[in-house]
Amino acid sequence: MRLLRHDLHSLSGAYALDALEGGAERDRFNRHLSRCQSCAAEVRGFREVATAMAFAASTEAPPGMRTQVLAAAARTRQLPPEVRTHARPKRARAQLPWLPWLSGAVAMASIAVAVFFGLAQSHTQQELNQARAQDQALALVLSAPQVKVLSQTVTNGGTATVVLAASRHELAVITSGLPALPAGKVYQLWLIGKTIVSAGLLPAATSGQTKPVLATGVAKGDALGLTVEPAPGTTQPTTKVLLALPL
Amino acid sequence: MNPSDSDASRFRAAPTDRRGERDLDDLLVHVARGDQGAFEAVYDRLAGPTYGVIRRVLRDPAQSEEVAQEVLLEVWRTAARFDPAVGGAATWVMTIAHRRAIDRVRSTTAAAGREYKTADVHTPHDEVAEAVEASLDRERVRHCLGSLTEVQRESITLAYYGGYSYRQVSELLSVTLGAIKTRIRDGLIRMRDCLGVS
Repeated sequence: MRLLRHDLHSLSGAYALDALEGGAERDRFNRHLSRCQSCAAEVRGFREVATAMAFAASTEAPPGMRTQVLAAAARTRQLPPEVRTHARPKRARAQLPWLPWLSGAVAMASIAVAVFFGLAQSHTQQELNQARAQDQALALVLSAPQVKVLSQTVTNGGTATVVLAASRHELAVITSGLPALPAGKVYQLWLIGKTIVSAGLLPAATSGQTKPVLATGVAKGDALGLTVEPAPGTTQPTTKVLLALPL
Repeated sequence: MNPSDSDASRFRAAPTDRRGERDLDDLLVHVARGDQGAFEAVYDRLAGPTYGVIRRVLRDPAQSEEVAQEVLLEVWRTAARFDPAVGGAATWVMTIAHRRAIDRVRSTTAAAGREYKTADVHTPHDEVAEAVEASLDRERVRHCLGSLTEVQRESITLAYYGGYSYRQVSELLSVTLGAIKTRIRDGLIRMRDCLGVS
């Protein structure tokens, strides 16, 4: 056992240089890293060495690249922060106190959390981190002060329920009973205000329910919209709005 | 919400430490909030090393440019995921860049012949500018690589710049797997001390 661990530990250098061949070995080392603080510190130091080596290889980028990258950035939506419990102890602790005074939210939150955890079970190991981060982001929405729970029927059947945390400019959406869509079609959410911005796609439903979708950048006076769009979604709605829920 | 301010210059005057690390961290925080001006400043700081390290691994300029663009756009997209507690911004970006280059190497090795042909079309590149840029970093790294044993140096450069896995390095150098792992690690420890990395 000791030999095995030592064996794993000696991979820190190869790991920091991306010289593991991926798959099982990298996963194994990643798991090891999450448990071994000194290994994580060592990898951090090695990554700085690697960074110096990268800077030493610095080369003037091709002239057209700047314009292209900046233009691409201007039309690319950014991901919301990944919220870690250990990095945000205060907020994480505030997870439950809202329960007593938020009668309407209780049912919704339990559904959302139950649905989430139900689905998390079926996630593969690799997806788990992402799922956990999403759960934490969701927990922050649910535990934000003065959340509003809104629910509305969707014109072609089913219900959408929204937990709105206006203070965080975020909301979580779940739906139930929406009609299944033919292949190549997806339900897409929109934030409709002065402009219309995609708020993401609804995931495939499990037993008629969709797992919570987190939308960020919610502005005062926005409405949440839902349309059916060709996969993998569009930049602007192209079909009839099935739901326009004022937030 | 909708920053149209694209004045990158206001960030350039900010105080910096060695290689401007702290300043870059701040810039990324602004990038995470959608500040395009901050992103321009980050681009100007990191496009060279990003493109450079990717090209060092991939060799093919066209492919390198493609991967570098992907990486820099990912920096914009995922800036909110950057955690200064884990390491500096430059390290975060270079880690993404190198990993992406390696992913490309491992996924396109089979198609290498074809990739090579498309490479020839785009070859011209200013080798002089390349030599002048970042000469300081280059000197430091060269000096520190020079302080390693030959096997340490070769395994580190083959792995990092050559994009070989440690198994491939072990084959290339005819050294056992166990020894290669150790050489890479020992070499990096020496490099770390030599470069004064904390």
